[in-house]
Parts: sequence; C-alpha cells; structure tokens
Amino acid sequence: MKNKRPLSQLILGDRGFKYQLIAPSIFILLLIGIFPLIYTLLVSFQGITMMDNDTSFHGLQNYTALGTDTRLWEALMHTIIFTCIALPIELLLGLLMAQLFIDKLPGRQIFIALLVLPVVVAPVVSGATWSLLLDTRFGPINQILGWFTGEEVTLLWTINPDLVYPSILAAEIWQWTPFMFLLLLAALSAVDKSQLEAASIDGAGYWTTFFKIVLPAIWPVMAVAILIRGLDLFRLFDIVWALTRGGPGTMTETISIFTYVKGFQQFETSYTGAVALLIIILLSVLVIGALKKVEIAR
Amino acid sequence: MADLKINSLHKYYGSMHAVKGVDLEIPKGEFTVLVGQSGCGKSTLLRTIAGLEEIDEGSIEIDGEVVNDVAPKDRDIAMVFQNYALYPYMTVFDNIAFGLRARKTPKVEIEEKVAEASRMLSIDHLLERYPRQLSGGQLQRVAIGRAIVRQARIYLFDEPLSNLDAQLRDEMRGEIKRLHRELGKTMIYVTHDQIEAMTMADRIVLLRDGKIEQQGSPLDLYERPATKYVAGFLGSPSMNFIDGMVTENKVTINNSNHSLDIPEQIKNKLTSHANKAIIVGIRPEHFSRADIANHQQYSKLSVNIELVQPTGSRSYVTFRLGQNPAVAELRPQDLLGHNTTIELSVDMSRVIYIDPITEMTI
Repeated sequence: MKNKRPLSQLILGDRGFKYQLIAPSIFILLLIGIFPLIYTLLVSFQGITMMDNDTSFHGLQNYTALGTDTRLWEALMHTIIFTCIALPIELLLGLLMAQLFIDKLPGRQIFIALLVLPVVVAPVVSGATWSLLLDTRFGPINQILGWFTGEEVTLLWTINPDLVYPSILAAEIWQWTPFMFLLLLAALSAVDKSQLEAASIDGAGYWTTFFKIVLPAIWPVMAVAILIRGLDLFRLFDIVWALTRGGPGTMTETISIFTYVKGFQQFETSYTGAVALLIIILLSVLVIGALKKVEIAR
Repeated sequence: MADLKINSLHKYYGSMHAVKGVDLEIPKGEFTVLVGQSGCGKSTLLRTIAGLEEIDEGSIEIDGEVVNDVAPKDRDIAMVFQNYALYPYMTVFDNIAFGLRARKTPKVEIEEKVAEASRMLSIDHLLERYPRQLSGGQLQRVAIGRAIVRQARIYLFDEPLSNLDAQLRDEMRGEIKRLHRELGKTMIYVTHDQIEAMTMADRIVLLRDGKIEQQGSPLDLYERPATKYVAGFLGSPSMNFIDGMVTENKVTINNSNHSLDIPEQIKNKLTSHANKAIIVGIRPEHFSRADIANHQQYSKLSVNIELVQPTGSRSYVTFRLGQNPAVAELRPQDLLGHNTTIELSVDMSRVIYIDPITEMTI
C-alpha cells in the first residue's frame, strides 16, 4: 500500500503541473472576487458612515434597517418594472429581426453590421446621446414630432413623470435588441433546414413549424440570452443615470442607482454593504433557479 | 394513367444549369429509381417534385393537375430524407404523428395509424424514445414510418440508405421493396448506388448531367444499354470496354494479336462499321473458362492473369486485352493463380458494340 502523498508534493510534483497552471487565475479570482465579498460582509456588520468611522460590531442593525427602507424596495420595484418590460420587447424584436434576416437577401451583411452598432457603443455614451436626442428644445425627437403636429413640441422627456419610463425603455431597448438579434440569428441559422422541409411536406403551417421545431431548437441559446439580458437589466444603471439620474424624485431610481447614491453620495458605507449583499443573494437565487430551469428544458 | 408527369423541366442555381429539360411520366403504383452520379441533378429533380425547389421552366403534373405553384404541404406527397430529418425534440410517436396532427386527424385515428405503421416497420417498441436514443437503422425506420403513416399520393425517397452500413442497407432495401408491394403506392427513389437501383426498381431512370440518359426496366438497361455511359454505370464490377477494329467476321483488338469472332446474327449490324474503330463491351460474367464453353457463339482468348480477387462465391481476375484492363468473373475452382496464362471464352451473343465517336450502342 502506498502512503498518501503530502500536499506539497501533490502541488509541486510532476502531477501537480495542472494545479500550477491554474494557480495564478485562482489567486486573481480570490483577490478580486472573494476578498471584496468577504470585506463587504464584514463592513455590513459595522457602523461606518461619512461622519463616523465606527468599526465596532453592530450585529444585524443594517439588515433590519433594510426591511423598513421604503426607498430601497421602491428602487427594487422600479428595477423589476424595467426588466419585465424591456426584456420581452428586446426578445421579441430581436427574434423578429432575426427571422427577417435569416433569408439570404441582398445587402444582408451590411444591414446586420449596421444593426449591431448600438451594442458596440458604451451604455454611458448611448445614454448621453439619447439625452441629447430627447432634449426639450434642441432635441430632434421633439422637432420631428413638431413636423407632424404642425406646432412647436416641448415634451419634457426626462422630467415629465409620464414620459421618463418610455424614454429610458426606448434607449435601453434600442441599445440591447441587437444583442438578442445577433444571438438568435446565429441560433436560427443553425436550425437543420431539412427538418423545416420535412415539416413543410408533413403539412405544418408557419406557427406549428415555429413552435414545434424552431423554438425547441433555438431554446438553449434563447434561454442563455434571456439570462444574460435579465441580469444586465437588473443592474441597469448607465442609461438611467445619463437620462434622469433616477428622477424625477426617485421615480426611476433602480437598485444600482440607489446603491450608488447611498454608498458614494451619502457615504453610508456599512448600510450600502448590506444592500449589496441583499442584491447578490437575490440575483444568486434567480440565476440558480433559471439555470435549473434551462437544464430541465434540455 | 400517369400519376406524375414532368414536362421539359429546367432548374438553374444561379448560372448552374442543374436540370436540363427532363420529360418523365410515372404511372400509378410504380417504383421508379432516379439514379446517377452525384451532381447529375437527381436530387434536384426529386426536390422539385416535392416542391422544395421552384422550377424555372416546364411543368409538373400530379394526377393531371399542374402543381408548379402548389406549396409542398398541399401536394399530398411524403418524403424520406437522406439525413432522416427527424424532429429531435419529439418522441418517435410524435415524429410519426406530426404530419397527421398537422392535418387535423382525429386523435383515435392517429393512434391507430401510428401503431399500424410502426408495426409494419417493427419499431413499435421504440415509440416513447427520442431520436438521439436510436441507432442509424432505427432512425431510418422512423423516417420511413413518418412518410408511410400518411396516405400520400406519391412517396419520395432521397438517398435514404446512404448513411447506413452495408448490412443494414441490404436489409432496408428489401424492407422498402416489401413496403411498396404492400402499400401499392407510387414511389420515387433517388440513389447513386446502381445496386439499389437494379434490385429495387420497376423502372430505372438514369440521369447524366441534368438529362435523362436512358430509362426502362432494370434488366432492359442492363442487357440493352443505349449508350456507353449506361453500359458502364450498371453492373459491378463494371463492363469492360475494349478498343478494336471491325474486320471481316472479326473484331481485332488494338495493340494485340487477340481477335473476337462476330456471330452470324450480328454481322449485318456491323457492316456499316467495317474497317472502322469500335468499342466492344463485355460484362465480367460473360467470360468463362474455354474448356467449359465450347460453342460457336463463344470466342476464345488466351490471357495472362495479373491479379486474382476471390470473393468466396466468385473470383474476379484482372488481365489485359490490348491496352485495356479487363476483369472477368469466374468460378473459384477455375483458377490456377496469378501470372498464369489461361484460355477464356467470351459469350459473343451478350457482347455489345459501341460506336467510339457517338458513344451510342450499335
């Protein structure tokens, strides 16, 4: 019987070569992933604010405060509203566009390249661009609307409570629909053509073919696309910040903006730590649930 | 009455002329095999019949009705694809039932029909499985099941056996032929395999370069090929083509001292070719050992054997006639070994004569 080899030999010996190879990435992962997480956890049990560098143990004080913070729960609500409206629209528009471009039409390549441009733009830049587009006095959107109504239009797109949501959603959907489009186009092109031909000979109409053959085939890609966009939307920040800064009041404040304001404008550091951990837990539950669902669907 | 009628059909892919004016009539209940080398337009022709490809010129009639602009689903045809094209996210049952459901067949009827079709193909124990859990042969049966479960007017097969191994292929060949006899439906079958064509077809349509080279019953094409191409395409090993000259009563083989006697009944056919070049086509099985066949219709040759390939029941021997390599199919006990000289007889009544310029048979 061979004795169990000591750990040092396991890591430094010949057979440990694989561990040596992955060691740097594990180290970096620990440094930038796990360390801040643990540090945040520690801070969230303390009482650090801008005025008070109180590092004593405060127990669950910050966490109990979360429960009664209506601004936090409203921000969460706003985030969910953005996600639940933007995600389905991006998905449907992306799918429609992908269906449109699946046929080899002339000029297809150029149009695809143009359509994908919004994804390349940094969200902050696209937010700033939309903010100019929507400008009350100089923005082309109001001007173009003016041509149709025949009189000067001065809609306050980023201030009027009835218009802020549509404005933000428009910018968000404009930027991220092409992402869905690209992924779904790739998925659709991979659908076995002879299956579609078999279905057409079998007498299946467009919708039967789509729901019974195309959709199951593209579902794995679609599920991942939904997951990625869902997570992104949950962290929605740049576009809202550029357009409304969460306003008017806190009407469009998302959970990310709330965290930013709390942490870096009001410097309630320990409380923000608690908020951050709450978000991490919420997202983890969502992602694990979603991943399980995708797995079962396969 | 013709079940399917194709009139001067043309199909282009860009500048590529894939089908160059095909006229074809297929009677009801016939098993027709479209055969030819890859790229000859046979699959394209089948796909135009199915409606998967639009045609550029000509017309296709099914039961007297022109279907040029009729969608595949309204043509009342069923098709088996080369790669099976089963729906991967459905069970075998759902795959077979798909066409019936799409046509709003009552549920009880669907169950009866699927059960019947799966029993015919002995896949009734696989109905709950998914395609990824099946072997190649089983997938093929399911694909056929999906086609025959519907009462279609015409059944199309696009090289359905080419992905199977040799043994399964033999088995399925028989199976498909049996199905044809039981169902009595018009079937059109595309293959590049001349053995499939010979064994299965009521009628072979041999395509070459987008055109029909010859059509007829398998034995018709085998015994009386119209061109050198047809003669060389059918038969395995393929026909030997020997270059020679017609002289009085004989064909002398170029670059050798061999000659073949022309039988009486064929002499007047070759008078117009006297003293001209000719190609003699001899099938491997029309050679035999000289001492066995001693009759005036046989012509004797003395050849030096270069190679012997035994297959068990028959042995193939390779030798040269002039500059042309030739293969003879002999009984195993006829052979001595390679590098020996043996006397062979050629059955001259079965030999075909080809004009080397037109490549047509005389």
